[in-house]
Amino acid sequence: MTPTMTPAITAHSICKTFGAGHRALDDVSLEVARGEVLVVMGPSGSGKSTLIRTFNGLESIDDGEIDVLGLRLNNDSDPRQIQRIRKRVGMVFQQFNLFPHLTILDNITLAPMRVQKQARPQAQEKAMLLLEQMGIAEQAHKYPAQLSGGQQQRVAIARALALQPEVMLFDEPTSALDPERVKEVLDAMRLLANQGMTMVVVTHEIGFAREVADRVLFMDAGRVVESSDPERFFTQAKEERTRRFLSQIH
Amino acid sequence: MQDWKALWRHGRRHPIETVISLLVIAVIVWAIWASGSWVVQAADWSVVGSNLPLYLSGSYPEDERWRPLVWVSLLTLLTLVTLFRPGKGDRLRWLELGLPWCWIAMIPLGLGLLGGGIALSAVPSRDWGGLSLSLLLTACSAALALPLGVLLALGRNSDLPVLRLSSRLYIDLMRAVPLIAVLFFGQLLIPLFLPVQLEINRVLRAVVAFALFAAAYVAEDVRGGLQSIPATQTEAAAALGLTPIQSLRLVVLPQALRIAIPALTNQAIGLLQNTSLMALLGLVELLGIGRSLLANPAFIGRHLEVYVWLGGLYWLFCTAMALLARRIERDSPPLGGHTA
Repeated sequence: MTPTMTPAITAHSICKTFGAGHRALDDVSLEVARGEVLVVMGPSGSGKSTLIRTFNGLESIDDGEIDVLGLRLNNDSDPRQIQRIRKRVGMVFQQFNLFPHLTILDNITLAPMRVQKQARPQAQEKAMLLLEQMGIAEQAHKYPAQLSGGQQQRVAIARALALQPEVMLFDEPTSALDPERVKEVLDAMRLLANQGMTMVVVTHEIGFAREVADRVLFMDAGRVVESSDPERFFTQAKEERTRRFLSQIH
Repeated sequence: MQDWKALWRHGRRHPIETVISLLVIAVIVWAIWASGSWVVQAADWSVVGSNLPLYLSGSYPEDERWRPLVWVSLLTLLTLVTLFRPGKGDRLRWLELGLPWCWIAMIPLGLGLLGGGIALSAVPSRDWGGLSLSLLLTACSAALALPLGVLLALGRNSDLPVLRLSSRLYIDLMRAVPLIAVLFFGQLLIPLFLPVQLEINRVLRAVVAFALFAAAYVAEDVRGGLQSIPATQTEAAAALGLTPIQSLRLVVLPQALRIAIPALTNQAIGLLQNTSLMALLGLVELLGIGRSLLANPAFIGRHLEVYVWLGGLYWLFCTAMALLARRIERDSPPLGGHTA
């Protein structure tokens, strides 16, 4: 990474409180460099999903600022600003969230055609390339309900990639999958990382984090506990809280 | 033979089930026998047979009766094509794409054929009647009630308090009033709201009243559909950069309406049956024709024949609507097993 490049995402002490005073994010600051793969780990309720959902404006923040690809988000962001960010940031959800009434191909071409105003043939051609990359080109004309979880999640990745995003956010992409299906999704993500995509991945997959991540960030109770390269993180974590967490998920 | 033996064994082992089954069979046979012998022997069907054009179009001018006939025939043809066309095939793609437009075109076509005007001689709506009027009333009010109901449902789910409350008030009000009252109000009140010169006819007033009434029920059905679409769908659409309106139009509404099809079918069938209430307001639709024929001395005492015949017609058309809805459900994409 060249040091002169601006980071893809910079968060300046962001805070987020849900309903009855539950602090989901408590003064979180971090930076994601361009081309970096950042894995976010932490117990449930630690705020890791909330964190990455603030990066594309799915969650608002109460305090602090986030710069995403040079666009600023704060506690009073213009919906159009959020829109501009979403066009450049892809997201993959735990539950796939494909559109069940559309075929796989239509799921993928929807945003390119409606948001980027691409012509249908052009959008379809690109969609087929993405599906081939994900190894599911033969499913193009089926509906989501006819696919396995792993296939659906790969479609979801292709759908997010169709807008040619500069950053990809993954919110526990393999947590809803059968154990045998996890690998095919992780392989697709590995491919993406190798192509130099900037990725923020919330996951419990230690193997993936070790092998693919440039950096692992550990959160607890809405705060960043520590952040280091995967080798150090998994073998000699500094914080007691991190070691306790790792000993439990191993 | 094997089957009969198995049945016999099963019957001996479960004597109570067997007795109940035999009783039910006996009742069915008796009912078919009794009504069948009335239909074939006792009934005098001349009140039906000699008045077929009246059932079709009421007091429509005799020379122009082909117009309602053409419209109802086209409607029947379209129904048959929709129901019995083969499943999906590339060769029939034009048919798949064209059918919805054909259905939509039936409404202006019906109004044009019955009302006349440009190339055809004009026939005032007070001369419309019979089955063609019943079907036209149903089609027009359904076509108005659906968009209105969708807007009301969206209004009820809106973030704007004024919009939400007024939609809710309207829906609750309409559902608390019997349809016949709405129809009477429609006949009496709608003219009051309009300038004197603009005299709108009874059919139009009926259609508006029907649509305003049905919209409240449609709104509740659509709201049910909207509620069953998880927020994660809107989130996924938002994350892809779709605007809230695009998300509603392309992602949420298509799914909500698909889920609401069975309930909306009930409304459509109810609408067709409720057009018979218009007979009380003096429109000679299908039931109205029946009643005026029974007032004719030539057909005195033929109530049973007329009402059985009308019942059969309503049954036929309501069943056709139910089958159409089932076909639409079968042809639309599978409902998503939303996990979140």
